[in-house]
Amino acid sequence: MPSPSAIVEQGRILIGDAAARQAGIERGIGASAARMLAPAITLMARNPAREAAALRTLACWAGGLTPRISLTPDTLLLEIGGCLRLFGGLEKIVATAAAGLQAQNFTVAASAAPIPLAAQWLAQSGTAAYCLDDLVMRQRLDVLPIAILPAKAAAALARFGANTLADVRKLPAAALARRIGVDTVRLLARAYGEMPDPRPDFAFPEQFDLLLQLPAPVETAAGLLFAARRLTAALAGWLAARQAGVQEIMLYLRHETTETPLALRFADLTADGGRFERVLRERLERLTLHAPVESLRLAVTQVAFRPRRNQVLFDDCHAEQDAIGALLERLGARLGERQVYRAALREDHRPECATQCITLFEKPRSGKAAAAPRPLWLLDPPEALREVAGRPYRQGHLQLLAGPERIESGWWDSGEYGGENGDQTSGDIRRDYFIALSTDARWLWIYRECRPPGGWFLQGFFS
Amino acid sequence: MDSAVSLDDVLARPDVWRGNHLASAALPAIPSGFAQLDAELPGGGWPRGALTEILSDCAGVGECSLLMPALRQMQREGKWSLLVAPPYLPYGPAWAAWGIDLARLAVVSPPHRGDTLWAVEQALASGALGSVWCWTTRSDTRQVRRLQVAAGGSATLAFLFRPSRARTEASAAALRLLLSAGPGGRLSINLLKRRGPPCTRTFHLDVTRPTRWHATHEAATALAGTPPALPSAPSQRTLALA
Repeated sequence: MPSPSAIVEQGRILIGDAAARQAGIERGIGASAARMLAPAITLMARNPAREAAALRTLACWAGGLTPRISLTPDTLLLEIGGCLRLFGGLEKIVATAAAGLQAQNFTVAASAAPIPLAAQWLAQSGTAAYCLDDLVMRQRLDVLPIAILPAKAAAALARFGANTLADVRKLPAAALARRIGVDTVRLLARAYGEMPDPRPDFAFPEQFDLLLQLPAPVETAAGLLFAARRLTAALAGWLAARQAGVQEIMLYLRHETTETPLALRFADLTADGGRFERVLRERLERLTLHAPVESLRLAVTQVAFRPRRNQVLFDDCHAEQDAIGALLERLGARLGERQVYRAALREDHRPECATQCITLFEKPRSGKAAAAPRPLWLLDPPEALREVAGRPYRQGHLQLLAGPERIESGWWDSGEYGGENGDQTSGDIRRDYFIALSTDARWLWIYRECRPPGGWFLQGFFS
Repeated sequence: MDSAVSLDDVLARPDVWRGNHLASAALPAIPSGFAQLDAELPGGGWPRGALTEILSDCAGVGECSLLMPALRQMQREGKWSLLVAPPYLPYGPAWAAWGIDLARLAVVSPPHRGDTLWAVEQALASGALGSVWCWTTRSDTRQVRRLQVAAGGSATLAFLFRPSRARTEASAAALRLLLSAGPGGRLSINLLKRRGPPCTRTFHLDVTRPTRWHATHEAATALAGTPPALPSAPSQRTLALA
């Protein structure tokens, strides 16, 4: 995002960034005046659709704090009465929310009050008031300027010489209703808790699929990561509200005409925003962008129920599993998913087919441990050995210690093999295996090919 | 002078060792499974939270068999282990025959050499693994120091395999062993460095060799609690033991 920059509404500056404020650009001055003060300034028209989208994204994120959320056109209301104890008090929950918002680079004005409308007005007026009790709330409301009321009512009240809400509430009720309208009087009563202030709950979207329009095209990994944080944070909140987790998320980097899909996979079900971000960072650092990115889209296809873990009964074993999952997916994200694997067994008589590398996302199949001597290291493909004076040779004559062990099988899929492990080995084999000792005292697993053209091969080391 | 710490108190600290004594480790060591070696290792086994450097030139002298008892011990504690940049493909059936649960043994093969060190550092930093084994062909003093520092903060067993030409280099590793093939199929070990007085002995350890396969592995599978594998059709396999 270029700096300085500011948002313009009807030819006047609505809000500027820190650099703009430093240049003396304040709310309400004309766009041309702003250009005089900072010639390099980027002015953008206010975009209500984008503001609403940002607020909806934030509402998803807030699902990580409380399941009860309500939106007004310009405010996000969180019902926190039910989770104060979970977080350990008002200060803690405010600090958690502030840290989360700061990480997403949002600047907010926040307040807390027992009545939603009171909290909304206190926040809108820029008063950082956090009150849990009705009396304090009323005192805070009393000093609010009348500008917080609808513009028409505020103008009418100004003519009476009323400046604050306290002044307004001193006026006789019947006369007040006639002059500023019954609706505004009701509004005041709701804010002060004299009338109920019901709010519709924000309905979390059924499918998570959010688009983030970037204010300016981004070409760097750092810039993308920064922007994508709003989406990953929203996903984490959305999952927390649904008590669900994901194993795969899709991030689409949208260019002017094309898009680059990035699949982020996780070792187990997770709803952890930190893990989303770490894996994304590794992927983005390795990515070469062929065009600037104009928008980001984050979508999940498969969501699974993941019961919220009881914080008290949380045991070390789970913490360790999570740490291992996080480590392995981090390695996989940077080095490539196929570079992080486990060895698995397969039912197959052919030595090279009895083991298989599986990624962390594949379930190991059952198989048997070796019942005869087998090497810890396997050479794939086997190394051809020379034959000197009728004996296998590798930097000297090899001494045969045990064998032969005839291994013969695989005739049934001769020529078809190769799909699964991706290599072109085997099919039908007939081999005589020996344990051999090299002149430098290494223990080798070698075989003599019984089928033409024959020859000796080294297939493993007894390490 | 009451506030002064007496020399005896300082010497009694677990992280202070005197040149003529073996250091006692802050974390209990993991027995190597070889009594004569354990007797000479500070703490009586492989140190946790410190780097163990294993200098060996070629695969096939028993260098992995040496560590198998420790790996099995970590697995019995329910811990995962990680192999970073192994020289060859781990052969599943053989590791399983050692009683190793393959589901808790992860392997990383970094495509670039530079990523090996990074991967090991990440693994040690996570602190969740039982052991990390790493193979490097080229690594310098500074990199070994970095790994020793990374290992220092964890309870993980950290093994670094290097070629024996590195024996002349200074190393920050807490324990350094030089492996070579010994007489009669045994594994010879020289302790190049330990936290204690120099050890000039050469150990000849009876590590498992394939010609003694059945005796050791039946014991291993019994220990791991899995039923021993059924013998396969004898008509297809003949094995003569020398």
